[in-house]
Amino acid sequence: MAKGYSTMGKEKFSISTIVTYIVLLLFIFVMIIPIFWGLMTSLKGTGEINRFPPTIIPSVLDTTNYYKVLFLSNFTTYFKNSVLVTVLCVFVSTVIAGHAAYAISRFNIRFKNQLMFGILMTSMVPAVALLIPLYIMGVKTGIYNTRFMLVLVYTSWRTPMLTWILKGFFDSVPLAIEEAAMIDGCSRLRTFYTIVIPMSQPGIVSSALLTAVYVWNDFLVSFSFVTNEKLRTVSVGLYSYITQYGVQWGELLSAVMITIIPIIILFVLLQKKFVDGMAAGAVKG
Amino acid sequence: MSGAVKANKKLNEEKILAVVFLAPALILILCMTVAPIFYAINTSLHATEYAQIKEFIGLQYYKEILGSAKGWYSIFNSVTYVLMSLILVIPLGTISAVLLNKKIAGRTIIRTLVIIPWVLSQTVTALLWKWLLNSNYGPVSYIYYSITGQKVDFFNTPLAAKFTVVLANVWNSFPIVLILILAALQSISSEIYEAAQVDGSTKLQTFFKITLPLLKPTILTAVVLQSMEYFNMVTLIYTLTSGGPFDATQTVSVLAFKEGFDYWHLGYGSASSIIILCLNMLFSIFYMKILRKKD
Repeated sequence: MAKGYSTMGKEKFSISTIVTYIVLLLFIFVMIIPIFWGLMTSLKGTGEINRFPPTIIPSVLDTTNYYKVLFLSNFTTYFKNSVLVTVLCVFVSTVIAGHAAYAISRFNIRFKNQLMFGILMTSMVPAVALLIPLYIMGVKTGIYNTRFMLVLVYTSWRTPMLTWILKGFFDSVPLAIEEAAMIDGCSRLRTFYTIVIPMSQPGIVSSALLTAVYVWNDFLVSFSFVTNEKLRTVSVGLYSYITQYGVQWGELLSAVMITIIPIIILFVLLQKKFVDGMAAGAVKG
Repeated sequence: MSGAVKANKKLNEEKILAVVFLAPALILILCMTVAPIFYAINTSLHATEYAQIKEFIGLQYYKEILGSAKGWYSIFNSVTYVLMSLILVIPLGTISAVLLNKKIAGRTIIRTLVIIPWVLSQTVTALLWKWLLNSNYGPVSYIYYSITGQKVDFFNTPLAAKFTVVLANVWNSFPIVLILILAALQSISSEIYEAAQVDGSTKLQTFFKITLPLLKPTILTAVVLQSMEYFNMVTLIYTLTSGGPFDATQTVSVLAFKEGFDYWHLGYGSASSIIILCLNMLFSIFYMKILRKKD
């Protein structure tokens, strides 16, 4: 950790430390409450959910909701779709953006600055402005309502930002190492694959994680371009609990918990990577 | 082979490699971002019937949007949504970042817990808040009921709905500001603070005279980035209130999305999209200027 403003030492139990803790606990409380309340509800039976005044902790632990979501609904299909689309997008977009970023970082390209500026501008185009034209284009080309369209859209939209972030990471790999390898007869291609990529691995992992979260969490693209229930992803699946059957809150919240638990675990384990990637994206793009 | 020929060959090889490396990315960007913009401009100038593009009608959709109360109300909603969110997000992000920058026991765990909402999707955020604030069975409604003896419906009164949407947005997105500011704080050298302490400045003075000015560029970046993010936001509002009640939470982005995918007015929706795009370009130019100043 960097050298921050330290109050450690003599002032360990000063008023300022106590105030700090109280304020931070308040923050934690507000941040956790909606998740906690959802989790508690998901473990209650229908009768207890629809009770006023509400109980906080379930009086009887009831896992029927989870059973229904996992075994009696299409939710596992949505889950599989999300996993498949996310994995494909992370892989393809990282490969494509990685190569582009390396070319911009190392090769002598004419109009390099204009190119980077153009890429940065396209990364700022909001999704909502592109949905309608892409919908019409998708219908006309026949890729509407396929997983291919989802992968294509996510990959293309992530490419500018990823290129921009990865270029930053490649720039920080010392040129001297590459030059030494090339003098030893290593080709450009091999230098990139066997030296530059392993050396920038932490950055690649960070940006891949951000792409994974983006795709996993997206609602708009999936909602707009896929109507077939068999192709639906989790975000849209969750929303459909509201519109289709009236709201079954117990089942809905169990599904929410099943969706967010993998992400929260991943986040807690790899927090530093998430934060690094995010900071790189915000500062540069 | 002579040296010059060899070097020339190598240069050619690099040229080919550069093209091969760049082409897929550029093709994707051109087809899925640049081309749709032109397609949307074209669509917005023609009458449409579902996905069929009919006769040329010029700027009629734009006139319809900018000449109607509905259009201006949605612009007003966008502006208030962005401003209300910023007014909460920036101070909350700054305060929590300053506190988390202190070397206190349990800092890592506290930070993790505070930023968890950031990895949750807008859909999940909307659903969790919808249930927390549910008027019939929710705890907030119960607390309100036990104090006032009345039930409150956060989703049926326009003003309450506006605040609810902002609150959920702040909950989901303030960790981004926290992370940005915390990173900036950690790059400030401790010597400045030691010097201030030696000079006898109080903590409050130190914060306002030293920390805040040093954070200014980062806060500015956060303001611009989040403004764009909030302005373009559809999912959270759409899944929480669908723009209602009585269009009270219908921002321009939500309007564009609903016109397109709820009512299938693709021409009108395209015109709204182009208006959103133009406003974004203004924002972007502003952002570039700030970035350049920073360098």
